[in-house]
Amino acid sequence: MTDPLALEPILGPTERTALAFNDDDLTHDERFEAFEAHVVAGGKVEPTDWMPDEYRTAVLRFVEMHANSELMGVLPEREWLMRAPTLRRKLALTAKVQDEVGHAQLLYRVAEDLGKSREAMFDDLLAGRTKFHNVFHYPTVGWADVGMIAWLVDAAAIVAQQALRDSSYAPYARTMRKICWEESVHIMHGRDVVVTMATGTVAQRAAIQDALDRWWGPLMQMHGPRSPREKDRDLHWRIKAKTSEELRQEFLTIYVPRIREIGLVIPDPDLVWDDEAAAWRYAEPDWDELRTVVTNHGPMSEARLEFRRVNREETRWVREAILGVATAA
Amino acid sequence: MTSTDAAERRAPQDRAQVHAPELEPWEVFRQEKDGDPMRHGGSVMAPDAELAVHYARELFGRRQESVRLWVVRRADVLDLDDPDLLQPPLDRSFKKPGGYVMRDKLAAARAQSGQAKPKARQG
Amino acid sequence: MTMTTLRPAIVAGLTDLIGTMADDEFVIGFSDSEWTGIAPLLEEDVAMSSLAQDELGHAAALYGLLADLTGSDADALAYDREPGAYRHARLLDHGRGDWAMTIARRYLYETADAVRLEALVDGSWAPLAELCRKLVREERYHLMHVGSWFGRLADTPGEPRDRLETALAVLAPDAGTVFTPLDGETGLIDAGILAASMSELETRWRSVIGPTFARHGLAIPPRTDRPARGRTDHGAPFDWLWGEFNTVRRSDPGAIW
Repeated sequence: MTDPLALEPILGPTERTALAFNDDDLTHDERFEAFEAHVVAGGKVEPTDWMPDEYRTAVLRFVEMHANSELMGVLPEREWLMRAPTLRRKLALTAKVQDEVGHAQLLYRVAEDLGKSREAMFDDLLAGRTKFHNVFHYPTVGWADVGMIAWLVDAAAIVAQQALRDSSYAPYARTMRKICWEESVHIMHGRDVVVTMATGTVAQRAAIQDALDRWWGPLMQMHGPRSPREKDRDLHWRIKAKTSEELRQEFLTIYVPRIREIGLVIPDPDLVWDDEAAAWRYAEPDWDELRTVVTNHGPMSEARLEFRRVNREETRWVREAILGVATAA
Repeated sequence: MTSTDAAERRAPQDRAQVHAPELEPWEVFRQEKDGDPMRHGGSVMAPDAELAVHYARELFGRRQESVRLWVVRRADVLDLDDPDLLQPPLDRSFKKPGGYVMRDKLAAARAQSGQAKPKARQG
Repeated sequence: MTMTTLRPAIVAGLTDLIGTMADDEFVIGFSDSEWTGIAPLLEEDVAMSSLAQDELGHAAALYGLLADLTGSDADALAYDREPGAYRHARLLDHGRGDWAMTIARRYLYETADAVRLEALVDGSWAPLAELCRKLVREERYHLMHVGSWFGRLADTPGEPRDRLETALAVLAPDAGTVFTPLDGETGLIDAGILAASMSELETRWRSVIGPTFARHGLAIPPRTDRPARGRTDHGAPFDWLWGEFNTVRRSDPGAIW
C-alpha cells in the first residue's frame, strides 16, 4: 500500500523556487497573473505560498463545505449504530462513522491552516451561514437506509473525491488521497449490507427497494445542476477538475449496472443509456428541492443543526477542561 | 511576601502559559513498514504531548497502517525553504550523476580498441 | 487441558465467567459507542470510537469462545436473550451520561478488568489464557487514555472536578460489581484457570486504585452493599439499551443481515 498522504512537493524543487508570485517585489496584479498562469498550467499551491484572495476564499469555502458535510453526515448513520443487528455490522458501522469524523478532522485542519478557526467554522455551520451536502438533510427510517447510504451516497461522494485528488491546493489534494483510500472500505460494507438484504427475506427485499426509491432523487441532485465549464471558478482555479454533469455520468456508468444486477429497480423510467450521445439520459432532477434543502429547509436540516448546537453546549466544559481553564463552579 | 503574591505579580500572559495551554497543531510522521523512511502524514490539534501522541495514533495508526509514529509540535519544526540556500544558481552538476555523460567518449574508446560494448551482466 | 477434557462443573464455571466478561465488554462497548459523532473534540471522538470498537471486538472474541464451549453462535449469545438474562456488572448499567460519567465509569471498569485479566493470563485452560493475554495488550491503550482523562478532570478545579465527583458518587454503590462472586469460581481456582476469588481480586483492585484516588483527593467508593446481586437487577437504562440493539434484529427474526 502506498503512503496515502506524504508531504512531497508535487513540483520538483527547482520549479518551486522559481514561482514568481512568491516574489514580494512584484505588484499585486503581477503576482495574480503569475499565480493564475501557474495554477491553470497544473501547478500546485502550498499553505506557505502567496495566494490571491479570490483563490484563498474559494478553496476555504470548498473545503469548509466538505468538512461540514462529513460532520453532519455522521448524524443520519449514528442513530443506527445502537441498532446494528450483528456484532460485525455494529463494528463496521462504528468504524465507518468514526472515519467520517476523522475526515472532518482532516478537512477542518486544512481549512484551519488557511486561516479560519475551527470554532468560527462551527459557529457559521450551526448558524446556517455555511452549508453541507443535500443528502445529509434527509431522514433514515430503517436499516436498509444504512446500507443504501453506505453504498450509493458514499459512491457518489467518492466519484467527486477521486476527481479532487489532483486539486491545485496541495494540502487538500493530499487529504483527498487519504480519504479516498479510507472510503473504499465503506462502499464495500454498504454494498454488502444491500446485497444481503436484496437476497434476504421478503420484508428485507421490500425495505431495500423502498430505500432506493427514497434516496434516488437526492442522489441524482447530489453533484449539483449542470453548469457551463467556462463559468465555474472552482474549475478555473483547478480546485476541482470535473463538472457536476461529468461526475453524475461517471456515477451512473459505474453504479446503474451494479444496482440492476441485484434485482433492484431504479425509480426513474426515463433513465437510459444513449449510445449516440455516449451519455445517460434521465428525468430532470428536482433542482428546487436541492435549493430548498441545502439552504437548511430539508426534512431534517433544522433538527440536526439543533442537535449539534445542543451537543456543542453540553460538551463545552470538556473543551475548557482540556485547555485547563478554571470555569465557574 | 507570600507565594500567592508572587503568583499574582507574574504577568497575565505568563499565568496563561502555565494554566491554559492552547490547542495547537502537532505534525505526525509515520513509518509504514520496517526499514521505510519516516514520511509526513498530516497534523492533529492537541493541548499537550500526551494527547498529541494519542490522537496521532488514532488519526494515522488506528488501522494498523503504521509501525512507528513521530509526533512533534509544528512550532518546533524548523522550516527551511530559502532558495538561495537550497537551490543556489551556479552549476553544481559535478555533484550529480547527470554531470557525467560519457556515451560519446566510451564509443570512441571502444572504436579505438576494437572492442564491442560488453553485454549486460546477468543477475 | 483441551475442551474435551473439561469436567462439566468446570464447563459450567467457565461459561459463567466468560459470559460475565463478554457481557461487560458488550455493554460498555455499546455505551461508549454512543459518543461516536458527538464527542467534545473531533480528535477525542475518533479516540473514543476506537476504544468502543476494541470493547466490542473483545466481546465478539469472548462470545466466540463461549459459543465454542456451549455449541451456540456469537451473535445469538450477544443479542438473543431477555434483558434479565444478561450478566454484566451493574456498574455498566448507568447510562452514558456526560463526559465525566463516561470517564468515571471507564476508569472504574478498566482498572477492575485489568486486575481480572491478570488473574487469568496464566490459567491452565489455554484458549482463555491466550485470549486474555491478547486482551491485556490491547487494554494498555485503554488504561493510558482513561488514566490521563481521570487525572485531567480531577485536577481541573470547577466544573470538571465537580462533575467527576458527582459521577463517582452516582456510581459508588455499584463500583465493585465487576467482582461479584461467581458460583463456580472455587472450581475454577482449583483447576488453575482463575488465580484468585472475586473477593480477593476486589481487594487487589482497591489497593491499585487507592493511591490514585488519594493523590487526587477523591473518596474511594465503598464496597458494594449487596455483592451477590451485582450482576442482576439491571434497571431501565439497560432495558433501553437492550431495546435499541434489538430493534432491527427483532424486526425480522431469522433474517440474515
